[in-house]
Amino acid sequence: MKTLVLGLGNPILSDDSVGLRIAEELKTLYNEQEVTVMATDIAGLGLLDFMLGYDKVIIIDSIQTKKGRVGQVYRLDAQDFATTRHAASPHDVNLATALELGKRLGLAIPQEIVIFAIEAQDVTTFSESLTPEVEQAIPKAVQIVARELDGRGVKGKNDKQI
Amino acid sequence: MKRITIDPITRLEGHGRIEIFLDDEGNVANSYLQVPEFRGFEKFCEGRPVEELPRITPRICGVCPSAHHMASTKAVDAVFHADPPPAAKKLRELYYSAHMCHSHIAHFYALAAPDFVLGPDADPAQRNILGVIAKVGIGIGGEVIKHRAYAQDIQAVIGGKATHSVCGLPGGMSRPITEEERKDFEEKAKSMVEFAKFSLKLFDDIVLANKDYMNLITGDIYTMKSYYMGMVDAKNKVNFYDGNIRVVDPEGKEIAKFKPADYLDYIGEHTEPWSYLKFPFLKRVGWKGFTEGKESGVYRVAPLARLNAADGMATPLAQEAYEKMYQTLGGKPVHATLAFHWARLVELVYAAERLLELSQDKEVTDPNIRTIPTATPDEGVGVVEAPRGTLYHHYKTDDKGVVEKVNLIVATVQNNPAMNMSIKKAAQKLITKGKAATEGLLNMVEMAFRAYDPCLACATHSLPGQMPLEVIIRDPQGNILERLSRKL
Repeated sequence: MKTLVLGLGNPILSDDSVGLRIAEELKTLYNEQEVTVMATDIAGLGLLDFMLGYDKVIIIDSIQTKKGRVGQVYRLDAQDFATTRHAASPHDVNLATALELGKRLGLAIPQEIVIFAIEAQDVTTFSESLTPEVEQAIPKAVQIVARELDGRGVKGKNDKQI
Repeated sequence: MKRITIDPITRLEGHGRIEIFLDDEGNVANSYLQVPEFRGFEKFCEGRPVEELPRITPRICGVCPSAHHMASTKAVDAVFHADPPPAAKKLRELYYSAHMCHSHIAHFYALAAPDFVLGPDADPAQRNILGVIAKVGIGIGGEVIKHRAYAQDIQAVIGGKATHSVCGLPGGMSRPITEEERKDFEEKAKSMVEFAKFSLKLFDDIVLANKDYMNLITGDIYTMKSYYMGMVDAKNKVNFYDGNIRVVDPEGKEIAKFKPADYLDYIGEHTEPWSYLKFPFLKRVGWKGFTEGKESGVYRVAPLARLNAADGMATPLAQEAYEKMYQTLGGKPVHATLAFHWARLVELVYAAERLLELSQDKEVTDPNIRTIPTATPDEGVGVVEAPRGTLYHHYKTDDKGVVEKVNLIVATVQNNPAMNMSIKKAAQKLITKGKAATEGLLNMVEMAFRAYDPCLACATHSLPGQMPLEVIIRDPQGNILERLSRKL
């Protein structure tokens, strides 16, 4: 089974880069043969190009919710965003719509899509650093993703305990 | 009527916020569109080598990075007083034509088409690209994805990276293309022209043939008489990559044509206490408030504005489409805001034809694609037409090329005054005597918004990955009467 770990984010908008940072960490922990780890700042329809041909994809991104605690990690799936599909973005289709579109067009969309989202503090200030609480959440998030991969039989390099 | 100043904290609740104030009779007195401004970009760029900016600035926007890359590269050329060789310019324009294709295709099918194919009253759950495909067929969905991918491929090969391009260097490009690559682009471009023609025909069959839609397009709510700005070539035809900037008045008469470097003589920026975003206006006319007409310095950019500001299109099929649009809508200039969608398709045809022209030009494989700069860097302006309007990058450096000052006028900010006015018109029509047609209001307001395709708060990737929009209706004392928002 081909697995893709895809970190999403904008590298110069503070906490918006957390998905990229976590992907960076994960890349050092896994062999290319076991799992492909990628990072991108592309959004919308372009994400389909990354995901086609994989059986499972784990997406990592930042999120801002009404009552979330900064640094919190959520495990979500495409269904959780189903209610966001109907609201057309003024700019591009969102992830949920892109996935549904791929499915309807019969493209080789992964069967399993898991999304890990980290609650962000600030995604509107230009900075290459994360805010402290989000920075501190990275090791925990890496562990959570590793556990997810482990649960599917994907081991780290040298079978290390992550 | 109570005036409300926006506290920085409140904008964290939503990315797009519209505040509507009613008067004592319950009719709309005023409305304000607030989009949060990203903070600290200039600070972020200071102290960096200016040639890095073409790789940094594309990250301002997740959807039009190529536009920033090109404007930035041209600004860096200007800072170093370096003139790229002809092959480099053609290669850049080829790349950029691919970008316009990809962007306009995505916008039309994902954003504009739902309003027209399904109708503004359709259930929001259907009014998206999925609804379009359900209605017009899966085959079309496949074609959209395919041609978007073609355009992306071309950008990736020339740009050097699938995501954000790295090809723009001071005085040229990072590498030439091979004959094999050129041939591939030519094939893709041919297909793109056919797809562009098809898209225009789709618009024809679905929109122009529908009387209700035509009434919506030409109706009062979405009409606004403003000035129009766009980049034109030496023959005053629309050009996305290079040229001078032309401005016409609400009657279509040219009132200015200037070189990119002179933009500050023509464009002023007005500020309001309730918005982080500025309100550009034409200095020649002056800021007269949020009003229409010849006396007001409000101007618009993006597809309709570009077509209004030019004398025609530089390629045959696009020219035909341009003539048909103006004939149908009663001559130039067209003030109907929804016609931005039509103009966008005319531009798609031009971008595809231009892509084909350039990919068939033998000079585009010339290996001489760089003029090494020799002058001392100081200051420069680079301008392109981004999908959403004229984009200005202005950099000032020390004598070592280290950035001291950055000024950007992004496309959407120039449509900020007009967006506010369009939204107010929609609101005034739909809220009378304190009664708000809630579902209709949000749709109509969104339609005005979507026609401008605003590009500012969208650079964030945070899930759910869209711009939440909230409409707040207040009484004269500022108390909230109603709060409408897109479900998240």
